Amino acid sequence: MKRLSLFVAITFIIGLSPLNVYAQDTLKLGIPLPLTGTNAKFGEIEKKSYEIAKDEINAKGGIKGKKVVLEFEDSQGKPEVARSIVERLIDVKKQPVVFGEYSSSCSKAIAAVAEERKTPYLVVTGATDDITQQGYKYVFRLNPTNAYYATGFMSFLNTVVKPKTIAILYESSDFGTSGAEDMVHQAKKAGMQVLVKEQYEKGAVDFRPILSKVKAARPDVIYMVSYVMDAALLMRQIKELRIDAKLYAGGAAGFAIPEFVQNAKEASELVMTATLWSPQIAYPGSREFAEKYKRLYKDYPSYHGAEAYSALYIIKDVLTRAKSWKPNDIRVAFKTTNMVTAFGPIKFEDKAGYTNQNFMDTLVMQVIKGKHETIWPQKYASAQYVYPIPKWRERR
Amino acid sequence: MKKFLPLIIIAALCLIPFMDLSSYVMHILILVLMWSVIGMAWNILGGYTGQVSFGHAAFFGFGAYTAGLLYYHLEISAWWGIPACVIVLTALSLVVGFICLRLRGAYFALATLALGEICRVTAENLVDFAQGNLGIMLRERTWVEKTWYYYIILFIAVGTYFLIKAVMESKLGYYFVAIREDQDAAESLGINTTLYKTISLCLSGVLTGIAGAFFMNYMGYIDPGVVFPLYDISITIVMVVMVGGAATYWGPIVGAVIMVFLAEEIRSIPYIGAAHMTIFGVILILIILFLPNGIVGDFHKLVKPFKRKREASS
Amino acid sequence: MPELELFLQTLIAGFLLGGLYGLIALGMALIMGVMRVINLAHGDFMMIAMYIAYWLFTLFEIDPYLSVFVAAPALFLFGLAIQKYLLTPVMKVESILPHNLVILTVGLAMVFSNLATVFFTGDYRSTPVNYASDAWYLTDYWPDSPVELSLSMPWSLSFVIAVIITIALWIFLTKTDTGKSIRATSQDVDAALLMGVNVNRVRMVTFGIGMILVAAAGCLFIPIYYLYPALGKQFTNVGFVITVIGGMGSTDGAIIGGLILGIFESMTATYIGMGWAPAGRFAIFVAALVFLPGGVASILRKRRLAKK
Repeated sequence: MKRLSLFVAITFIIGLSPLNVYAQDTLKLGIPLPLTGTNAKFGEIEKKSYEIAKDEINAKGGIKGKKVVLEFEDSQGKPEVARSIVERLIDVKKQPVVFGEYSSSCSKAIAAVAEERKTPYLVVTGATDDITQQGYKYVFRLNPTNAYYATGFMSFLNTVVKPKTIAILYESSDFGTSGAEDMVHQAKKAGMQVLVKEQYEKGAVDFRPILSKVKAARPDVIYMVSYVMDAALLMRQIKELRIDAKLYAGGAAGFAIPEFVQNAKEASELVMTATLWSPQIAYPGSREFAEKYKRLYKDYPSYHGAEAYSALYIIKDVLTRAKSWKPNDIRVAFKTTNMVTAFGPIKFEDKAGYTNQNFMDTLVMQVIKGKHETIWPQKYASAQYVYPIPKWRERR
Repeated sequence: MKKFLPLIIIAALCLIPFMDLSSYVMHILILVLMWSVIGMAWNILGGYTGQVSFGHAAFFGFGAYTAGLLYYHLEISAWWGIPACVIVLTALSLVVGFICLRLRGAYFALATLALGEICRVTAENLVDFAQGNLGIMLRERTWVEKTWYYYIILFIAVGTYFLIKAVMESKLGYYFVAIREDQDAAESLGINTTLYKTISLCLSGVLTGIAGAFFMNYMGYIDPGVVFPLYDISITIVMVVMVGGAATYWGPIVGAVIMVFLAEEIRSIPYIGAAHMTIFGVILILIILFLPNGIVGDFHKLVKPFKRKREASS
Repeated sequence: MPELELFLQTLIAGFLLGGLYGLIALGMALIMGVMRVINLAHGDFMMIAMYIAYWLFTLFEIDPYLSVFVAAPALFLFGLAIQKYLLTPVMKVESILPHNLVILTVGLAMVFSNLATVFFTGDYRSTPVNYASDAWYLTDYWPDSPVELSLSMPWSLSFVIAVIITIALWIFLTKTDTGKSIRATSQDVDAALLMGVNVNRVRMVTFGIGMILVAAAGCLFIPIYYLYPALGKQFTNVGFVITVIGGMGSTDGAIIGGLILGIFESMTATYIGMGWAPAGRFAIFVAALVFLPGGVASILRKRRLAKK
């Protein structure tokens, strides 16, 4: 009995042998991603995008002559697993730089590990503000935070719509909560009154009770922070209940991907969303990436894909410029980054209470005739925005 | 010889950090020890007293949040969570006990499941007080190296093991088993079943909570989805004990070794990794079908085919 | 009158939801009554039925409501197999903890939901039928109505079909011999055996019927909701909360319990806050367990006895 447990213990201690990152002329990079679990879809989009970037980089000679090999590890969307993956990457595989992960909670857990082990970590998608508000020296974030997601959208509201009241619905995840908190903040600044602010648990079947409450309050704008299925259900039930607002808008994520239109059908028409990137935008390499992805996988990538694609290019840039591949030299190279990727301009700044954060314009998309079009700011627009929008009863 | 075996094993375990193993292996060992504690704690209530709880995540999460909230609101070290747990978790156990212990068998299981989920949803909704799904993060963990964490959890695990042994070999232990075997008969013999079930629950709850507080300190980040979930914590605890063997001293430990080992190793294999829950489910089903008392409890069944071979060849 | 409108709309939503919930709970209640097991994999069987409906819709454009005719028999047979090869043997095994049957169903739930993730990926899927957001509006028929109420077409359709199935089941249980045997076994196994009921066969048939009910529930749900592998857990929760509110093993209780839960959840969502809805569900569950352990059924029984 005790023999059995000792045997089992010894077996797996032997079974774990450290592996080396630098094998001749390949550069192995481990990337934690949620490949299973509720965020698996986004993990898939990012994985495909990383691979497109990798193939392009290798075709042009790799990073400093070494061929890039990517190894994806499944974090299942759980912070403790993500943390354990990264610890292994740093301690066992001696990877000098870490990047990846999708959700804020996993990114947060990894950031803490990277900071204490003095290894640079590039946040790709995690959006809650506090990740780069801790004063961490080794954590760099390429994507705008939740507080900045809606700047493009707010500019549209203040210029075109000028609403007086707003209702906010959000899912109970960290993404939903911080997106909602931020919108409350922005609404106050713009002089809008928040009539309803309700959280719901992901996977809710029936939103109609809460939507009836929203209907009774008659807000000018209904703002929702959701992932795709809730987003689709919300719009379908809004249409069904004939709630007429001046504008329906989403806070990115579920509202910004093609599945939203496929699942909500007519109910998605004319819905706007804040977004960080769109396939029509003209940053260098952006349209080519979007079209390549569409050719391979039938749909345009979401902004998460653009983030992942650009992340690998940033890593290439940093590793090429760094004096050596020791973690601290890589960190120094990060700090002096100044490039434009397919996702947008990248420069890591210490500003407004954030450390090593990249600040970018955000955009607004609208579903017009079943397709997401970029409508704001007008210098990036691919189509003219539709506003005011007709009431449900008048739509055919 | 047999008497010294536990001491020898403990001594060996104490020497492990000197073996200069990788940080990753230490992580696995720490997890194994932590799950052993949780498994042993559950075993008091479930295996020995026969009250199967599907909601132990409530205790684990409460322990983790006690530590986390002390840090977040009072800005003191999260390690204070461990002594604080004793008080907080006893209170929680009394409340849970008051609601659930009057129920029998499967009803008790469902009620504890429900309470675990209530805790999770409450934690998600308490955004102002407990950060909801934004979670609680320690700005810096106490140590970067794993050594001290290892010794702390080893100390807790050893302490738990001897505590349980002492309890089960005392009158208390007999009362627990009597309640498990036939609660009404025990009651009619004059045993105050409510009192003893409550004691069992409190012991179980406090120990699980201490493991939770340790987890907060070790992981550095918790949120309701990490410490209160049904499948990842509550059901995993049940699995650990069922696979190892309920109502045995070593069962939960064996179960913890197997489950943690399996979880980590399977996860790393590229395609099979995604199917780890299936593999666990299948293992659980097989255990229920063929080794209902776990590996330790039904060890003789496991060994039988080997014994027969030996006899055949001689 | 916005308050009245809000209240009525919430009530309607709760009612429709409750009817569908009741269907899920019916299957579970039947199985619980006869086999004395809480099937924690119930929701996952529903998930399997929903995938069948999904593939029929996506590949062959068969409307989900018609898929019942395929999903129900498929699940019936599948359920019988599980019952025969997994559940029955475990019922006979000796062990320290008598809860092995429940834990077995937990294992099954894990296997089903994970296999679905492996084969079908975690993607959310739906069957966007053309009438998905269509509804009947009160003001279309009564232009001067003080309130604007809407009745969703697919929800109403699902509700009506659920009611039809429930009535069919009720007829089956009260008027046919097999039905009566099932009720007898549920009330008192030993007495049923003495009366010459083939308890083993009854157990198998009951499990099968439970499967048919849950398959129907799945096909009725997919047009109004969506599908993902981990969906089972949520509906298993709903199922056992209702069976406890309604009374373990009681079919009347399951129906009434379903309506109670549906209306309670809707009201909680509107008046307290949607984030608390899942907690509310469990709170009512624990309250029922503690204060009314026999569920609604025990109240009904008292009334019935009192009448005599």
